[in-house]
Amino acid sequence: MRRVLPALSWLAGAVALAVLPTVVGPYYTNVFVTFAIFSVFSVSLNLLLGYTGLFSFGHAMFFGAGGYGTALALKHVSGLALLPAVGAGVLASLVLALVLAPIVVRVSGTAFAMLHLAFSQVLYVLALKLRAITGGEDGIGNFPIPPLNIPGVASLPMKDSPQNFYYFAIVLLALSLWLMWFFTKTPFGQVQLAIRENAKRTDYLGFKVPQSKAVIYLVSAAFAGVSGSLYGLFHNLVSADGAFGALVSFAPIINIMIGGIGSFMGPILGTALFLVIEEVTSRFTERVELVIGLIFVFVIMFAPLGVLGTAKMLKQKWLAGRTARDAVQRAA
Amino acid sequence: MDQTTAMYVAQGLHGLAYGMVLFLIAAGLNVIFGMMGVLNLAHASFFMLSAYLGFQFVSITGNFWLALLLAPPATAICGVLMERFLLTKVHAFGHMGELILTLGVAQIILAAVKGIWGTESLPLKMPPILEGRVTFAGLDYPIYRLFIIGLALAILAVMTLLLYKTRLGKIVRAAVSDAGMVNALGINIPLVFMMVFGIGIWMAGVAGVAIAPILTVFPGLADQVGMDAFIVVVTGGFGSLLGAFVVSIIFGLLSSYGVQFFSQFASVLIVGFMAIVLAIRPNGLFGARDA
Amino acid sequence: MNILETRGLFHDFSGLQVLSDVNLQIRDGERHALIGPNGAGKTTLFNVVTGTYAPSRGQVFFKGRDVTGWAPNELSRIGMGRSFQITSTFGRLSAFQNIRLAILSKRGIRFSLFRSVDKMREITRETEAVLDRINLTAERDRAASALSYGKHRALEISLALATDPELVMLDEFAAGMSRDETHYAVDLVRRLTEGKTVVLIEHDMDVVFSLADRITVLHRGEILATGTPTEIRHNQAVKDAYLGDLEV
Repeated sequence: MRRVLPALSWLAGAVALAVLPTVVGPYYTNVFVTFAIFSVFSVSLNLLLGYTGLFSFGHAMFFGAGGYGTALALKHVSGLALLPAVGAGVLASLVLALVLAPIVVRVSGTAFAMLHLAFSQVLYVLALKLRAITGGEDGIGNFPIPPLNIPGVASLPMKDSPQNFYYFAIVLLALSLWLMWFFTKTPFGQVQLAIRENAKRTDYLGFKVPQSKAVIYLVSAAFAGVSGSLYGLFHNLVSADGAFGALVSFAPIINIMIGGIGSFMGPILGTALFLVIEEVTSRFTERVELVIGLIFVFVIMFAPLGVLGTAKMLKQKWLAGRTARDAVQRAA
Repeated sequence: MDQTTAMYVAQGLHGLAYGMVLFLIAAGLNVIFGMMGVLNLAHASFFMLSAYLGFQFVSITGNFWLALLLAPPATAICGVLMERFLLTKVHAFGHMGELILTLGVAQIILAAVKGIWGTESLPLKMPPILEGRVTFAGLDYPIYRLFIIGLALAILAVMTLLLYKTRLGKIVRAAVSDAGMVNALGINIPLVFMMVFGIGIWMAGVAGVAIAPILTVFPGLADQVGMDAFIVVVTGGFGSLLGAFVVSIIFGLLSSYGVQFFSQFASVLIVGFMAIVLAIRPNGLFGARDA
Repeated sequence: MNILETRGLFHDFSGLQVLSDVNLQIRDGERHALIGPNGAGKTTLFNVVTGTYAPSRGQVFFKGRDVTGWAPNELSRIGMGRSFQITSTFGRLSAFQNIRLAILSKRGIRFSLFRSVDKMREITRETEAVLDRINLTAERDRAASALSYGKHRALEISLALATDPELVMLDEFAAGMSRDETHYAVDLVRRLTEGKTVVLIEHDMDVVFSLADRITVLHRGEILATGTPTEIRHNQAVKDAYLGDLEV
């Protein structure tokens, strides 16, 4: 029974995802897509943050690059298919990461965070000012969204079919999550953890730390690009604020902090929780900054490990307490 | 001097004035980082808060000088409260904890400011003495900007004196170098931190009131000027006051000449400058400190 | 052959001369102790040799190759290992994960992205073998920082050795240990470094005399004397420099 349980859970989950649109209706289906997009975005940041200990404030720039890459490709390349368009977004992200990697792998800690904030500002300004390319403040909207062509099987229109888009997005995002999960399970995933714990010792053990950081950086950027690309397709709009704005920059950090920084699922849980908080508070107040600010302050002061982290810590304390109690009881 | 030169000099002085304001903000940020290792993302928010408080003082008393005198210390007190009751609690989580906390406080200040004063742009009237222009060397120049430059230089002079000629200054310089050691010598480091933090915020507060008549008081102040100050610190080098000074001036000049010659693209010029510097020296022009 | 050699090594920190004309020669297969009072430059010498810094002047030769200025990871890959006086492990990772990292590096698996590490049985087996040799099998899943001091030090030393280097640089491996723990550690080092060359920084003379084949005495950044323990014991210059510091 124990061996079958995980497989059953996955199956149940897959079925749930498959029937979701029909069960919850269009509004919540869209909410779910947003949740999925930001989950992937947050997990991609967590690869840098939670797993490698590299704190990036400006991860939005890869999200934005993905969005603009896809939008520009679709706008200027007539007849471009859907998957290559997403690929263009990922490529844009990767190129950006390749350009920045040599600089960023030489620094760590606060300098790393700040450099990223600085660079993402550069991109934000560029996105605003280079009107001819990026459409400035208005961004690029209403670009063609081609149908998904599965050769020989079907052609699924995406543009006005939220349901089709849902399935497309969910498959792509689930695949991304699985790939990132697998990444953390490889030997290279161990090197990531080592760099986080003790970069100096990692160097002395024979690992090339800057190059390793670069690889993690590229992987993280690529998946942020996927999420950004899908976000652009989802809204059929890519704009400077939507792609590089403050909320997009802070959201993944909040998600990671709320959910728990030290685990893979943490950011996903955090994304869900934050979306709920946003939905609820937006009915009462427009002061989105207040909510974000308060969450940041409270979480870092009282629950810095996030929901999952605190749960794990409590469980360990309980277990340790139980072992001690057992020992005392046996001795009594 | 002739018209063209006069124009260039005027632009230069504009830039210098802005650069000096940036330096007042960046200097505090820099010393706080150099000594405590904390990058205070709420620094620019306090700058903005002081401008708002200044506006409030002027509304009540009608006196600019009173505002300039009272708003910065009031803001500094808020800053110290944050340091004492919030910041000290998150040291355990290292830099990330401090960054997130100060980010949170920055958002809260923004919300508070919008909530209390609204989102419109508020004017802050400069004192009648400083209105008008002065003529020198064939150039007709607004007094107020000269006042800003003078004020900033005066504060800079006083700070330098404090740092290099007093015992407290010696302690602070030592603490920037090695806070742990100074602590071990029996000096109350938390108190020193608190004072330096307070003074840093105070300087930002002065900058806030000083620039308010020119920029007006609005919620985007923190983001706009704050980003500039932050770029100054990053480009000049963390922990380097000289770097902050040099880059502030360059920045101010780039900003004003940039607007004149490149209009739209002035900001691109500035961030481009930063990008180039960082590409060559990721720790900033004069930066040595590794976080 | 000399597996390690420094020629005319000088190093200064902002004008302060810490190493002066150090010509160290370590013979293949020997256990060589580096002793001297605090501030003599022992750790700096270690740092220069293992790549932490490049020397201000002079050269370092490893297995006959000029490796002056090479980075620590490069030196590790050609067979040099190093342990630290202040324990430097991967704190929140388990003992198993710590050792496994060293094994992965030894096997050249540094950028592998396509396999699940937990399923690599060879790696797991080797890691378990190392843990067994240092008696850490019971604690294999405990976080490194949660280990007792002695076991944590054993892990520390073991990390340096698990990459199977030909030359091991041990910086006060018995630092902070009790008498019993020290005896145990000396025995461990002796067992684990069979067939390897060892250079150790030491303050504890008992350890030096039970392990070292030869000793080099460092004083104020210069080599005062090199020789067998007996020779050093009777060396007048050494005695003069320390006036009984050697506790012989």
